[in-house]
Amino acid sequence: MSDFTPQQPTADEFKDPLANYEPFVYEDPLERAIGEEPVGTIRHEPFTTIMPSTPIRVAVDLLAGLEIACLMVTDEDNHLLGVFTHRDVLDKVALNFDNLQESPLSDVMTTEAISVHESDSVAAALCVMAVGGYRHVPVLDENEQVVGIVGPQRLTEFLQEKFQQLA
Amino acid sequence: MGLRENLQTEPVSELPLRPVVTIAADRTVRQAVESMQAEHIGCAVIVDDQQKPIGTFTENELVLLLDDCGTGVLNEPVGNHVSPAWAHVTETEPIARLLDEMQTRNVRFVVVCDEQGRARALSGQKGLMEYISEHFSRVVAVQRVDTPEYPESREGA
Repeated sequence: MSDFTPQQPTADEFKDPLANYEPFVYEDPLERAIGEEPVGTIRHEPFTTIMPSTPIRVAVDLLAGLEIACLMVTDEDNHLLGVFTHRDVLDKVALNFDNLQESPLSDVMTTEAISVHESDSVAAALCVMAVGGYRHVPVLDENEQVVGIVGPQRLTEFLQEKFQQLA
Repeated sequence: MGLRENLQTEPVSELPLRPVVTIAADRTVRQAVESMQAEHIGCAVIVDDQQKPIGTFTENELVLLLDDCGTGVLNEPVGNHVSPAWAHVTETEPIARLLDEMQTRNVRFVVVCDEQGRARALSGQKGLMEYISEHFSRVVAVQRVDTPEYPESREGA
């Protein structure tokens, strides 16, 4: 057995491990809001989900009827499997619609959708849109279930509310 | 200056601008779709013979047409299916004007014109998000996204 006895520092010897900590300094209140407020504070409803087995023509009809640009494709437990957007219609469906319309949505949906959690910061949603290049960002809860969607329009509303609050 | 002031003072030319896809009104919807696919953009600008915009054809119109008519509409002139609302600004106008046009007309794309009124570029929601994120790059560029809420396994020993 080792004979090691930990030595406790004296008050004069103690060095605060946080002595060199420099907290992040925000340049203005809007930067703080974007860096710290959660995505959940952005309006993220209403949203529409759809099953991957749904025929493509039904999905197109939903997009048209609801006047929305994105459907979130989920399983029976509301876990995100992908998205089906206006861009998918343009790139994968439009020129072959007659042949595809009864095929399942899983054949043409975008499976690599980037999502955020409602507890992530607004900056995360902005990062997905601006850096990742995704217009629609699904929002998940801590159980990885879909609870909403955010996009440029809703994020702009959030910023304009902040302009008014901070004016 | 902060974001709010910059929106009021900086010109549209400061936004990330996309190359514009233009098409004559007598071309077909199919040709418009093929051009949009080739340029990976969701909007074609319908122009006259002087390259001045007279309307847009977007993914939104495409979805509505497919839903109503199927692929039969692909061979019709795109000029018959112009967006009911579209927006244009000049490259020297302030960005706030572009934002106002987008919100007032509820459009995703805005045609950017030169001083002679010719279509020069395309901007809209995506460009605006990139512009905003540049103002907050210290908090936006460092984000790690698409990670699970909780780690799947413990770190360390």
